[in-house]
Amino acid sequence: MKLTTEDLILALAADLKPVSRYAVLERLGTGVLMGILVTTVLVVTVLGVRPDLPVAVYGIPFWMKWTYTMSLGTAAIFAVSRLARPDSRSLMMLWMLSVPMLALAGCAAHELANTPLDHWRTLWMGNSWTSCPRVVLGLSVPIFLGLLWSFRRFAPNRLRAAGALSGLASGAWAATVYGLHCPEPSALFVLTWYSLGILLAAALGAVLGPYVLRW
Amino acid sequence: MTAREEQLEAWMIAGLDGDAAAQTALLSALVPMLRGFYRRRIAGAGEDIEDLIQETLIAVHTRRSTYDRDRPVTAWLYAIARHRLIDYVRARKPVVPLEAVLSNLVDDGFEDAATAGADLDRMLAMLPTKQARAIRQTRLEGLSVPEAATASGLGESDVKVSVHRGLKTLAARILGS
Repeated sequence: MKLTTEDLILALAADLKPVSRYAVLERLGTGVLMGILVTTVLVVTVLGVRPDLPVAVYGIPFWMKWTYTMSLGTAAIFAVSRLARPDSRSLMMLWMLSVPMLALAGCAAHELANTPLDHWRTLWMGNSWTSCPRVVLGLSVPIFLGLLWSFRRFAPNRLRAAGALSGLASGAWAATVYGLHCPEPSALFVLTWYSLGILLAAALGAVLGPYVLRW
Repeated sequence: MTAREEQLEAWMIAGLDGDAAAQTALLSALVPMLRGFYRRRIAGAGEDIEDLIQETLIAVHTRRSTYDRDRPVTAWLYAIARHRLIDYVRARKPVVPLEAVLSNLVDDGFEDAATAGADLDRMLAMLPTKQARAIRQTRLEGLSVPEAATASGLGESDVKVSVHRGLKTLAARILGS
């Protein structure tokens, strides 16, 4: 027998739980954290933490990387929290994403200025440029899945944009966790290869968004 | 802000705070609003409109955390209603460039012409039974993909693929002949 609309309303309202004013951000935070947890386990067990981590955490390069990826990840999550709502608002706040990029570009320029020309190549390519972007992309998958879980209670209208920003956020947080493994110290390396991995994750998110975020 | 808007917002916020009576009042008040909204946009299809209303109520309820308390509640409600409507329209009439050939034939009164029915039958007869039936159901009888899938006992993706392949074959023959 078909459910009447009156019965449906009563059934829905019967199991009513209060919803916090910040429910969207809370749910996004939970999704990202679940993903980060899985990604961290992957980094620790499969890739291994860099052996000099206890020393590295006192150094500037480690924090330069984390500041970059964490600020990108945070800005992207705020953008996603806007796209989670159906009455979309302006995405002008996306200019915030350029701040960490420009800051890191400044660091890279400073680095180059203080490095002899024949060492520029090492600065740029490091030892792991071939693997870095795709490892970041791979590590972003659990975080993207965490965000998909968050989206099950959201009502996005712009699915491609929501997918792209979710991918960007996943990539940025995956890169943050990857910082526990990757010993590359140069700003130019991070600016190029970390960013490439993050952008790949954003592109994949943009492709998948219209399919996986449908509701 | 109108009195109705104020009343809806009060119910919405009380519902978010866990007041089941307010949530019931809100959802009940939405039913006639949504019925008017969908009737103005979809011709006929009374059954479909009731389904859409129920789907929208479920979305409004389960996704209510996306309502921002500082913004107008009707804008949020209609954004959800519009999304469900777009989804409904898309599900019934997939827009794929390749298929434009045949659907144009159908839309432009081709079907109504005296000989058209026979031509259509002959063309569909050139296809494997499964593809012909899928096209007949989704394109000529107006079934949705899930409905066609249930009716023929196939998976939804199977139906979609059959329609797509069949139309592609037909398009190739029409353009080639």
